[in-house]
Amino acid sequence: MENLDITETSTIQKLENLLLVAVPRDLTDRDVLKLRRQVLEETRRYHSQWVLLDFSRVDICDSFFGRFIQSTARMAGLMGANVAVAGLQDAVIETMVELGMTLPNIHAVLDLDDALALSREGETDDGLLAMESPGHAITDSLSLDSPFDDSTFIPPTEV
Amino acid sequence: MTGQAQNPKRFSISSVVDVVQARRSGLELALKMGFHPAEANKVAVVISELGRNIELYAGQGSITVTPHTEVKGQYIEIIAEDQGPGIPDVARVLKGGYTTSSGMGLGISGSQRLMDEFEIHSVVGQGTRIRAVKRMQ
Repeated sequence: MENLDITETSTIQKLENLLLVAVPRDLTDRDVLKLRRQVLEETRRYHSQWVLLDFSRVDICDSFFGRFIQSTARMAGLMGANVAVAGLQDAVIETMVELGMTLPNIHAVLDLDDALALSREGETDDGLLAMESPGHAITDSLSLDSPFDDSTFIPPTEV
Repeated sequence: MTGQAQNPKRFSISSVVDVVQARRSGLELALKMGFHPAEANKVAVVISELGRNIELYAGQGSITVTPHTEVKGQYIEIIAEDQGPGIPDVARVLKGGYTTSSGMGLGISGSQRLMDEFEIHSVVGQGTRIRAVKRMQ
């Protein structure tokens, strides 16, 4: 029954200590289960300390999607990883808030640059050490132009 | 409420795929009518929440989405119907907090908050009919 014609597929990429997950816009229950398992597998494989769920393609976020975010965060948390959500569209955010959806213990960032900055800070909001990556120590003036291990990363333009 | 109904779209719901297609159509319809993207998004989410309830509790049913035009303005009417087990305590569901294995307990109560009008008629053992209206701001 789950044969929805979804042309978009999820993509999961490693970026430094962050696992970047591009979430497709329409997910069935089966897709969600599959994606969540993929995320956990890749998190373990790459020892990712941050999982970034990129929602920029998602234009309808119902409570089921909210539960997907929550459950993924809880499971990733049990693996020692933090979860951040990025790219939520204005319309989606407004609906989520009015719907009464809350996402406790989940970081929200504007985009990939902010997610990278957050993952390099080294500490979560509750003070727990989130990363110990050599060469990416906490600095007051974080440089986003420094070279990275992963060739898929496109350095942001300076503003 | 009176108003000129235009081309109602009826979606049979018996799987999550049906729900996804119905909410996508609802979003496109609302945007085409001129709803603000945030308001159109609410229409889509309510279709999704009500559709999921049908699929989860009744197994099958339908959602009808109808654009209306009247002197005071335009609005979209969503009617979700099923012949499922019905809701024993509507007031409690509207209050929120009913959690299921797949949702956040926000389905009905949250949908009510997103809409301008929201009515539930449910008879245990016979089914449920929910009517929701979103007006163009």
